[in-house]
Amino acid sequence: MEFFQNFADRFYLNFIAEDRWKYIVNGLLTTIEVTAAALVVGIILGFIVAIIRATHDMTGKMKIPNFLCRVYLTVIRGTPVVVQLLIIYFVIFGSVNIEKVVVAIIAFGINSGAYVAEIVRGGIMSIDKGQFEAGRSLGFNYAQTMIYIIVPQAFKNIFPALCNEFIVLLKETSVSGYIAMQDLTKGGDIIRSRTYDAFMPLVAVALIYLAMVMLLEFAFNRLERKMRNSDH
Amino acid sequence: MITDNGVLIKVEGLEKEFSGMEKRALNGVSTEIRQGEVVFVIGPSGSGKSTFLRCLNLLEVPTGGNIYFEGIDITDKGNDINSYRQKMGMVFQQFNLFPHLSIMRNLTIAPMKLQGKSKEEAEATAMELLKRVGLEDRADSYPNQLSGGQKQRIAIVRALCMKPDVMLFDEPTSALDPEMVGEVLNVMRELAEENMTMVVVTHEMAFAKEVASRVIFMDSGTIVEEGTPDELFNNPKSERLKSFLSKVL
Ligand SMILES: Nc1ncnc2c1ncn2[C@@H]1O[C@H](COP(=O)(O)OP(=O)(O)OP(=O)(O)O)[C@@H](O)[C@H]1O
Ligand SMILES: [Mg+2]
Repeated sequence: MEFFQNFADRFYLNFIAEDRWKYIVNGLLTTIEVTAAALVVGIILGFIVAIIRATHDMTGKMKIPNFLCRVYLTVIRGTPVVVQLLIIYFVIFGSVNIEKVVVAIIAFGINSGAYVAEIVRGGIMSIDKGQFEAGRSLGFNYAQTMIYIIVPQAFKNIFPALCNEFIVLLKETSVSGYIAMQDLTKGGDIIRSRTYDAFMPLVAVALIYLAMVMLLEFAFNRLERKMRNSDH
Repeated sequence: MITDNGVLIKVEGLEKEFSGMEKRALNGVSTEIRQGEVVFVIGPSGSGKSTFLRCLNLLEVPTGGNIYFEGIDITDKGNDINSYRQKMGMVFQQFNLFPHLSIMRNLTIAPMKLQGKSKEEAEATAMELLKRVGLEDRADSYPNQLSGGQKQRIAIVRALCMKPDVMLFDEPTSALDPEMVGEVLNVMRELAEENMTMVVVTHEMAFAKEVASRVIFMDSGTIVEEGTPDELFNNPKSERLKSFLSKVL
């Protein structure tokens, strides 16, 4: 009985008193916003980079764009995302007044794009060369063959890896506190600094991430099964 | 446009050198394919048959020589190869159907996207051709639900849906189980009877003998001998052809 009373008191202190739940809810919304937008940036960037790289691998063209893409991939995948976030915030946008959320979207989008690019490139290269030749022999140009024949098949193959990248991205945005952006993690941490209770807010934050990841995994599994069923 | 003397494809001094290979895959090949001709290309493995065929629609880019298709030099970089490829159907050994699309979509995607055909128009053409190869009931299937012979017949139909002026075949029956070879050869025979211009690379010598209007024998990247099936199969002149025939017949 005493335990429950104690628990209820702490719950009240951490989430109800002074509307502290708002740190959690607003933080969650920011996390979702940044993740979703960064995902879009990452996928667009990733597909562009992947197609440039695959085109270079297959035809030997696009030497300079391919070189730039490789620099991008090496730098992004070779440095920690927190450092990238800090550099983009304090160095690149250091002298400009820009919203932290936008900085986070740019930083995580650019970061995610590098991983998406290598996933997509692997997917494109895994498609049989005969598919490409069949497309070209019908009269499709290079871009049309990519769009109608290669990428749809590649997408099916890489869908699980892309979903995984989405989940990684969601969790990675938790370092946004480094630029003092109030995401879900930062929200929990602010409560902790006010109430001097670490357990309640941090475990709550962890459970919310866990719930989101499990929900996403459930949705992805269903989608994947659906896609596989339509694949004959 | 067909040139005055009925020449559809004219090949002059064709050369192909793959990087890193000491021997040229094609070493000065010259010939003509006339309207309505059924030309079979035979020769030992590695003699350059596939390379020759794939150069005709520039799937391989020649390193020397010229190819004129309907009077136009398609090796000239200024010409848009994509528009000429629409008139040259190609059938591959491995079928290369698009596995993510239904059979009907495999057949209609190119006419719709490239020739501006309406869905109805493209599907009507596809259906008519499907009936001719006896596969009209498979329109809604996917490639992986078909047998090898059925896949290859669909692949032929896919090329025909573009209403090509010439059909190129690279060993169309080599990947098939023996009991399925016949159904594909029947479709090809019918095409030949309808005066479709065809260039066929094959190891099916009996079929070549029966259907060819002309046979080209290649070895080491050159044309060693060419002529009617009777000339090549019954009266071979060169030693190389004689020894080749003694092995395959
Ligand atoms: N993409 C390539 N890269 C390097 N060499 C190649 C390539 N394609 C073909 N060759 C070489 O060119 C030569 C001719 O090959 P090609 O495939 O045209 O022969 P083929 O007559 O079709 O033989 P087969 O009957 O085995 O199909 C061979 O020596 C082959 O190794
Ligand atoms: Mg070959």
